[in-house]
Amino acid sequence: MNELTQALSINEKLEILSDAAKYDVACTSSGVDRRGKQGFLGNSCSAGICHAFSEDGRCISLLKILMSNHCIYDCKYCINRRSNDNRRASFTPDELCTLTIEFYKRNYIEGLFLSSGVVQSPEYTMERICETLFLLRTKYRFNGYIHVKAIPGAPDELLARAGLLADRISINLEFPSAESFESLAPGKNFNKILQPMAQISDTIAGHRLAIGKSARMERCGINKYLENSIFSDLKLEDKSHTDLMIAGGSLARDLRRPFAPAGQSTQMIIGASNETDLELISTSQQLYKSFDLKRVFYSAYIPLNEDSALPAPGTPPPLLREHRLYQADWLLRYYGFHAEELLSSSRPNFNEKIDPKCDWAVRHLDIFPVEINKAPHDLLLRVPGIGPKGVQRIVEARKYGSVNFEMLKKMGIVLKRAQYFITCQGKMLYKIPIEESFITNSLVDSNRKENFGILDNTSYRQMNLFDDFRLAIG
Amino acid sequence: MITVFTCENDFTAMFSCIHAAWSSRLGHEHVRLQVEPVEQMNLFENYVHVDADEKKAESVIYAINCKISPAFYAQISYCLGAYEQDTLDTIYRVLILGFAYGEHILSMYQYKDITRFLEISRRYGGEAHSFLEFLRFHCIGGKLFVAHIEPKSRVVMPVAEHFADRMPSEYWIIVDDIHKEAAIHPADSAYYMYYLTDEEMDKLKLTEKENDSYTFLWKTYFDTIAIKERKNPKCQLYHFPIWKRSHAVEFL
Ligand code: SF4
Repeated sequence: MNELTQALSINEKLEILSDAAKYDVACTSSGVDRRGKQGFLGNSCSAGICHAFSEDGRCISLLKILMSNHCIYDCKYCINRRSNDNRRASFTPDELCTLTIEFYKRNYIEGLFLSSGVVQSPEYTMERICETLFLLRTKYRFNGYIHVKAIPGAPDELLARAGLLADRISINLEFPSAESFESLAPGKNFNKILQPMAQISDTIAGHRLAIGKSARMERCGINKYLENSIFSDLKLEDKSHTDLMIAGGSLARDLRRPFAPAGQSTQMIIGASNETDLELISTSQQLYKSFDLKRVFYSAYIPLNEDSALPAPGTPPPLLREHRLYQADWLLRYYGFHAEELLSSSRPNFNEKIDPKCDWAVRHLDIFPVEINKAPHDLLLRVPGIGPKGVQRIVEARKYGSVNFEMLKKMGIVLKRAQYFITCQGKMLYKIPIEESFITNSLVDSNRKENFGILDNTSYRQMNLFDDFRLAIG
Repeated sequence: MITVFTCENDFTAMFSCIHAAWSSRLGHEHVRLQVEPVEQMNLFENYVHVDADEKKAESVIYAINCKISPAFYAQISYCLGAYEQDTLDTIYRVLILGFAYGEHILSMYQYKDITRFLEISRRYGGEAHSFLEFLRFHCIGGKLFVAHIEPKSRVVMPVAEHFADRMPSEYWIIVDDIHKEAAIHPADSAYYMYYLTDEEMDKLKLTEKENDSYTFLWKTYFDTIAIKERKNPKCQLYHFPIWKRSHAVEFL
């Protein structure tokens, strides 16, 4: 390890510690609406706001940075592992606060995403993180968005403090199985990741109940029309919240903040171990169901270290696969799909040529075409080219008269995809044979362009707050 | 013959214009509303300029709020600043429908005036929102924050609303270089709108040349945070097109 003896400038630290943080994919500032307060700096908007797009096409919303890139662990996949000969640096709490505040005032960022390598011990590291967040919220009077990484193995009391100071809290699962995890992260224990995730989930639910909300996180409004979504049978209210984490002292009372109001998230690495897509999205589904996670992020593995257990440096990251997983993840959270509908043990990976929703639809041609003027919410949502907003617009408009293709276009429905699966007043847009191979080929064509662009990264764009601004009555 | 009621590009004037067209009793199909300057006059149309009149504007606003609803008023007045030539006329048509059928008219894609209105409103909202993202403040003398924007539509107000909530206790100014208007926000008080003279504009232009040390740090961050193995300039360009970059310091 290259211990730097001379003092580093802020610019050098910023360079080292943002470089070390960039492999964490989460950068969203979404999930909580909070008004500004006089005497404080910042607010928060639940759709999130992107401020810039870096050269890799990803949205920059938060100052994503490590407190320190020193680490006592030696995870094989990680750039910051102990055995790497890297430049190392650490920020002081005040340095980090000043950077956040000054960037925020210039409208460069929506807030801070603070993580860290494990310095000395999980406890010591978490303590420093909490100290920084505490200063930021109190001395620097920051009211903007904070996403904090919980360091597994840190005492409950510190995780509870972090949850009270931040808006979102996350622990990276990294791999969906104990086997992969323990072989690639020596010295770490898979259960030590799951256990705090469960506790955080319980604590969020407990705090929500205490302020009169339902125990479950708010989800996209469309879910209330879906009888059979992955969230329908979540019963957090029934859990006995015995596993609550409590912050000592008077922090909860002094801050008067809800506990992680934007919920909990996690990340899994794609392509470093040999899990199938089915295992990955089944894991996500399980995490959404049992821990009520707000988001699961997927990170295409970029080989940074030479290691026989991992793909060799220079192997291109599986970006298209990552993209398909994000699409599938949206289908779970917003479209009422279940993992086992999308993939099966005989087809355990997504089709690279066609997106998961189209893929599902062409395998279920027996239920199509559906009549736009009659179909219920859940069926409309399953039509490729129609999203939750489109469904709302259709259902609203058809109360007052019948809906035709022209109107669908104005509602933002992608007819290029939807046309194969719908009728308006009994008629399809064109005479099309309802036949699997014909439709698949046509859809592959429209998918190809999109895949080229990605690899278009649409999954990184946050929702546009103003798309329906003031247009949804009631 | 169509009578075209025209007015200045200003909130009160626009509602006065609506008042004039409505009370002209010429029949809705025989009138059109347009904001000045009218670029192409038509020989077969009769142009009538309407002056801003606060009383008349207020009476229209009052009627919309009481007879339809405050939510409806908020929605139609929100996008009056949109640059589309037919904005005012479209809003007039939506009002006619609103008075006849009530506020749910805005979900009725069956009317082409409604779809046109929703189109303008969404585009305008998108334009305003984009400035919440890539507007950049420069810090002058450690205390004052100044931002310049070049929008197609007049969006300073909705943009300023956002920043008034976000930075209530800072001094800041948002300058619209195109329409020469600014929102000025003294710390801990409400912001106000201000029309700028050419001289003031020239002075304000200099603010971006001020040396702000955090700009340099931001550029460092911006460059480092990109993962080079995932480099994708096409995608970056798609999300952050060239026209957005003129004041985004990371590209300068
Ligand atoms: S504990 Fe975290 S920072 Fe340390 S080596 Fe493992 S993944 Fe990297």
